[in-house]
Amino acid sequence: MSESFLSIRSVRKSFGATTVVQDFNLDVAPGEFVSFLGPSGCGKTTVLRMVAGFETPTSGAIVVAGKDVTRLRPNQRNIGMVFQSYALFPNLTVAQNVGFGLKVAGMGKADIDARVKEMLALIKLPEFGDRYPYQLSGGQQQRVALARALAPKPKLLLLDEPLSALDAKVRVSLRDEIRLIQKNLGITTIFVTHDQEEALSISDRIVVMYGGKAEQVGAPFEIYNRPQTRFVANFVGTLNVLEGTVSDAAAGKVALAAGEITLPGRLDGARNGEAVSLALRPEAISLGEKAGADTRLAGQIADVHFLGSVIRVKVAVGDNVVSLDTFNSPSAPPPEIGQPTGISFAASDLLLLR
Amino acid sequence: MRRLWAWGAFLLGLLYFVLPLVGMTEFSLKMRRGEYSFDAYAKVLGDPRFQETFSYSVVMALFTIAFGVLLVVPTAYWVRLKVPRARPWIEFVTLLPLVIPAIVIVFGYIRLYNTSSWLPLTGSATGTNVLLMFGYATLALPYMYRAVDTGLRTIDVATLTEAAQSLGAGWGTILARVILPNVLVAVLSGAFLTFAIVIGEFTMAALLNRPAFGPYMQLLGANRAYEPAALAVISFSITWLCMGLIQIVSRLAPKPPSQPN
Amino acid sequence: MASETIRTAPAASLRSRLPVNWLGLLPFAAFALLFLILPTMKIVIGAFQRPDGSFTFANVANLNTPSILAAYWISIRISVASALLGCAVGFAMSAAVVLGGLPRFIRGPLLTFSGVASNFAGVPLAFAFLATLGPVGLVTVFLRTQLGIDLRLLGFNLLSFWGLTITYLFFQIPLMVLIITPALDGLKREWREAAEILGATGGQYWRMVALPILFPSLLGTFALLFANAFGAVATAIALTGSSLSIAPILLFAQIRGDVLGDPHLGYALAFGMIVITGVANGIYIWLRARSERWLK
Repeated sequence: MSESFLSIRSVRKSFGATTVVQDFNLDVAPGEFVSFLGPSGCGKTTVLRMVAGFETPTSGAIVVAGKDVTRLRPNQRNIGMVFQSYALFPNLTVAQNVGFGLKVAGMGKADIDARVKEMLALIKLPEFGDRYPYQLSGGQQQRVALARALAPKPKLLLLDEPLSALDAKVRVSLRDEIRLIQKNLGITTIFVTHDQEEALSISDRIVVMYGGKAEQVGAPFEIYNRPQTRFVANFVGTLNVLEGTVSDAAAGKVALAAGEITLPGRLDGARNGEAVSLALRPEAISLGEKAGADTRLAGQIADVHFLGSVIRVKVAVGDNVVSLDTFNSPSAPPPEIGQPTGISFAASDLLLLR
Repeated sequence: MRRLWAWGAFLLGLLYFVLPLVGMTEFSLKMRRGEYSFDAYAKVLGDPRFQETFSYSVVMALFTIAFGVLLVVPTAYWVRLKVPRARPWIEFVTLLPLVIPAIVIVFGYIRLYNTSSWLPLTGSATGTNVLLMFGYATLALPYMYRAVDTGLRTIDVATLTEAAQSLGAGWGTILARVILPNVLVAVLSGAFLTFAIVIGEFTMAALLNRPAFGPYMQLLGANRAYEPAALAVISFSITWLCMGLIQIVSRLAPKPPSQPN
Repeated sequence: MASETIRTAPAASLRSRLPVNWLGLLPFAAFALLFLILPTMKIVIGAFQRPDGSFTFANVANLNTPSILAAYWISIRISVASALLGCAVGFAMSAAVVLGGLPRFIRGPLLTFSGVASNFAGVPLAFAFLATLGPVGLVTVFLRTQLGIDLRLLGFNLLSFWGLTITYLFFQIPLMVLIITPALDGLKREWREAAEILGATGGQYWRMVALPILFPSLLGTFALLFANAFGAVATAIALTGSSLSIAPILLFAQIRGDVLGDPHLGYALAFGMIVITGVANGIYIWLRARSERWLK
């Protein structure tokens, strides 16, 4: 990729004997929004901190806009960063916080004031310049932190779990706001989160990390619908797993306790009798008959959770319990527990996990 | 670079603190000409005046601690439970002894409670002892109050009180059986600190003319050469012991649940 | 009707319950009044009274003699110097442990030792320094016999401004360490990182963020150290006898034997000390109020 703006090349980081990040490679295009998604301790924050310059890679290189910054100190990198804990300077007003990066760069007062005004308008807090951080709500503080990071026109924006400390409602609205601002400014952004919904909704691409490695890199649609590893499949979204054994590899047949499934051409290389796991998203399964379905299994309603607009139904199918969602309809009461039922889905929606 | 600077600052500080301790220890061992000996210690420990003044100060310290606990624990508890609005005022008052020099306070005592006043405490030995004890309690107040208040912060005073009340406990029972055991570590810390302060206190005891350990040390220092150094070592060891006990007590205590920041 | 009863009931119970609750503070209030407030008031009032009880400025005016003013002046100088140096060195040591990357295991012992040393004041401390920097002290003798440096010829005397200041530092520095370490712990790592990534140098971070945040604590500790040194009697007496005339020693002598001849001059002397520590703390409270607008 010749047009990559940020390039992380074979980066490894160890603290003593423990390796936190191993052989991490990533190229980010200009203006791209990339999320690092993974559980805590997966190394996503460490990679971000190496890009920021707070940690030095044990080996490998980090290149920003064609310049190797691996050994550069954080204050020479011209990168903007937003922290989970906001990290606003409590002794400075909102305006002084936003202007901090400009002031240390030696910009004149008039220019600083103009830029601060512009940034406060951008985050829709134009009247808040004279307030101190403690006078703001969490969401407002984080918006100020975003403005502070963007004020010096950084080449790269790093967001370290910026929404984790906020309430659910604020989290969603600020998420959309961040994405909007990022698109308008066209700034290349890396976003670290452990929340898959956040990552899926906001990103151009997602890097799913586990154990210090990138498990899969791809667009949200791809990550969700075509997970390449068992970890990605389990970590991103809800998944039903059907355990079975290959009964006829050539014909693509898998035997389950509740019946047989045919996966044409997808069991190449498998042995007959080999155990396989088939995974299916809840929204891919229908209660009763679904248009375009080619596979049907019989089962029994095991549990019903009424969630408002959606009803999550658990169906016992042989040894497996399968979750599926149906939309609420005022005229149709939810199914009853114990009632026999059938489920249907398209075999092509099945994910094969080995 | 930063680490080098840090080590430099630290080692220089260490030297400043260790040298006087080494100096006094070495000096205290030099009483016998040409060799180190414990003669100075033997002399000091064998002196009946040492034994008298030291035990006097120990007894005073114990009374001060008892009084301090009886005064501070219920007050700090009550402030937290019922009159949180009084907290800034109480805190202000407890910090005053750090600001008003002890010599000024004791001067006030002498003038306020002399033989011709409305409360002639200095008229009798017992009265003066009581006055000195109150004086010590005043000096220890900032430390005692802070320790207890910090201890109370880690427990849920209101819930504990309501739980005890719902089981039929009266105020005395609540304080003695519920609150005190929960802040025992804090109280003990304050107590050891009080002990260290009282044992070495000079100004108040000297001006009230009581035979305490502090004035005895000063008297000895003015008249002898090696014994004062031995006394300093003994006194320093007592302070260490008190602080060590605070450490041990707080380490043995169950950790309070960690609070979110 | 219903809303009215709801509105009036709490107010009534508040009125009847409030004094009862405040009564619980009576023992403490009585103690503070009898053994802290009234004695201090007695001094303040006495400073403006003739022996017969009538009002006068004469006592305070009588402080205006060269020897008394000199005593106050050297007391103030010693207190300021030992407080400033105590703050500076204590801050450096604490910063070295908290931020300077010294091993964590130093921290516990340092704090424990500070607890000991900050309470190791008075007579024994004076003995320790006499045994170290006195005429036959360890360091004095070592410098003279081993390195040929005679402290006495260099003008150093333990019974002087610098001698007393150095001795006071033994409890001033640890007190600073005890108070400032939690404050340094309160500096969040993210503040430093946020400043760095915004392009600030270490110096800019300290000047624009860390020091302003620490300023109230530093100021408060300075005021405390000042008062601590200003009222230190025992160390000074044990160290110098009465050869160095500082304010508390003057007052001590006055209380002991009225050597100055005028009993009400003692009130004025003590009043002067209260005023000075009071002013020091007044300045502290004023500066703090100015610098803490950003605090809740």
